[in-house]
Amino acid sequence: MSHEPSGRVVKIEIDGRVVEARTGEFLLAVARRAGIDIPAICQHEAVDPAGNCRMCLVEITKASWDGWSRLVTACLYPTEQDLIVKTHSAPVIEARTVLCDLWLARCPDSAYVQKLAAEFGIEKTSYQPAAVPTDQCILCGLCIRVCEKLGPAAIYTVNRGGRKKVAGPFEGPPPDCIGCAACAEVCPTSCITVAERDGTRTIWDKEFQLLACTTCGRTLVTIEEARYFGRKGGLGESYYQLCDRCKRLQTAQQATKVAGLPLTVGGLGEASGRPFRSPGSLTTSR
Amino acid sequence: MSATAAAPAIPEPDLAPVDAILAGYPQTETSLVQVLQDVNRTFNYLPCHALEKVAASLGVPLARVFSVATFYKAFSIKPRGKVIIRICTGTACHIRGAPLLVDEFVRHLGIRAGETTPDMGFTLETVNCVGACAMAPVVIAGPRHHGGLSPADVPDVIQGKSDDD
Ligand code: SF4
Ligand code: SF4
Ligand code: FES
Ligand code: FES
Repeated sequence: MSHEPSGRVVKIEIDGRVVEARTGEFLLAVARRAGIDIPAICQHEAVDPAGNCRMCLVEITKASWDGWSRLVTACLYPTEQDLIVKTHSAPVIEARTVLCDLWLARCPDSAYVQKLAAEFGIEKTSYQPAAVPTDQCILCGLCIRVCEKLGPAAIYTVNRGGRKKVAGPFEGPPPDCIGCAACAEVCPTSCITVAERDGTRTIWDKEFQLLACTTCGRTLVTIEEARYFGRKGGLGESYYQLCDRCKRLQTAQQATKVAGLPLTVGGLGEASGRPFRSPGSLTTSR
Repeated sequence: MSATAAAPAIPEPDLAPVDAILAGYPQTETSLVQVLQDVNRTFNYLPCHALEKVAASLGVPLARVFSVATFYKAFSIKPRGKVIIRICTGTACHIRGAPLLVDEFVRHLGIRAGETTPDMGFTLETVNCVGACAMAPVVIAGPRHHGGLSPADVPDVIQGKSDDD
């Protein structure tokens, strides 16, 4: 994260616990370090916080505030001296409940939203549900920020108000999309569809050819992605020729040769059995 | 897709003015809205290829340019006619007969609100309060503001006659 708090070390109170933090450090990060849970949907360690989803609302006050308090987004609120933070007070829970209620009206078919709403005791939205639920997107903007951070910046919101949605230019297949699927990987509601078959990947209505490992034939990344990150990272043509498993095997073989030891394939079995993750994707968990 | 599919099939205009517009601003993202305003004023809408030119020239991702182009009500990504007729349907104008004016314009131009005549002569739009409630009902045709209109005035407005002609 590019936000580097440089402030003084101060003490603040979160849910009755005294916690040390630097001034300027965002409350969500401070709470997480202290093992205090605050739900946060549009926050991802790969990108700067944006305050879009509002799920991380917490109540803040100070002894000097005369009983006055307010709700702020923890992911974006900088630590200051003497803050008293409540992460699960009645106003906080109420705000999060309303959010879930609204999301359920917008995306009644989303399993993610249904589950979230159920956690706040909502089975059915109290609002008018969307007549034609168009998609399961809660407009958290995470996909957009991740794509921008990676470089392509292929998708943004289009329109506004009730017609706002995430799309490529002219609402067609985004010309700058390299098919890396990082957006789909981070989407909380899993509403960005990625279809892979016969060596192709389709995402955002755009079809990509997948590169295959030259040794084992497993598909790796899209050709566009290899080209893009190859150029950006100066990786060279050969970087995407082997999958991670074959690369490890190759390295091990070379190392064994150098050490003059016999290669036991069994020793690599465990590592090579791990599911494949595309090297260009952001696979860090939220 | 739907946005482009809905547009009348007219050829993309000559984009030379876009270069001239771009030349007048610093080539940075901060110029984006002003450039789009000028382009929109020149063509009455934002042609696809103009957006591509602007994106490339200012170094802004095309997706973001499109995002801005679809965010502001002042911009249109659909081709619009030479004269844009905006009928105010705000509260004051509504009470003073705006719906009758809308019907009358629809009848005369043969298009509905939001549409453009096939000859690209007129685009009909309804807008909310334009801030001239004392003159209600208000219609803005091209550069001209018309107040206190009745349906009988509609042909004159279409022919471009102002109140005092
Ligand atoms: S697949 Fe990759 S490049 Fe395409 S929109 Fe998603 S994150 Fe951006
Ligand atoms: S597609 Fe997913 S990540 Fe993107 S804005 Fe919608 S919910 Fe958020
Ligand atoms: S995580 Fe803070 S607003 Fe989404
Ligand atoms: S309502 Fe029409 S100008 Fe105010």
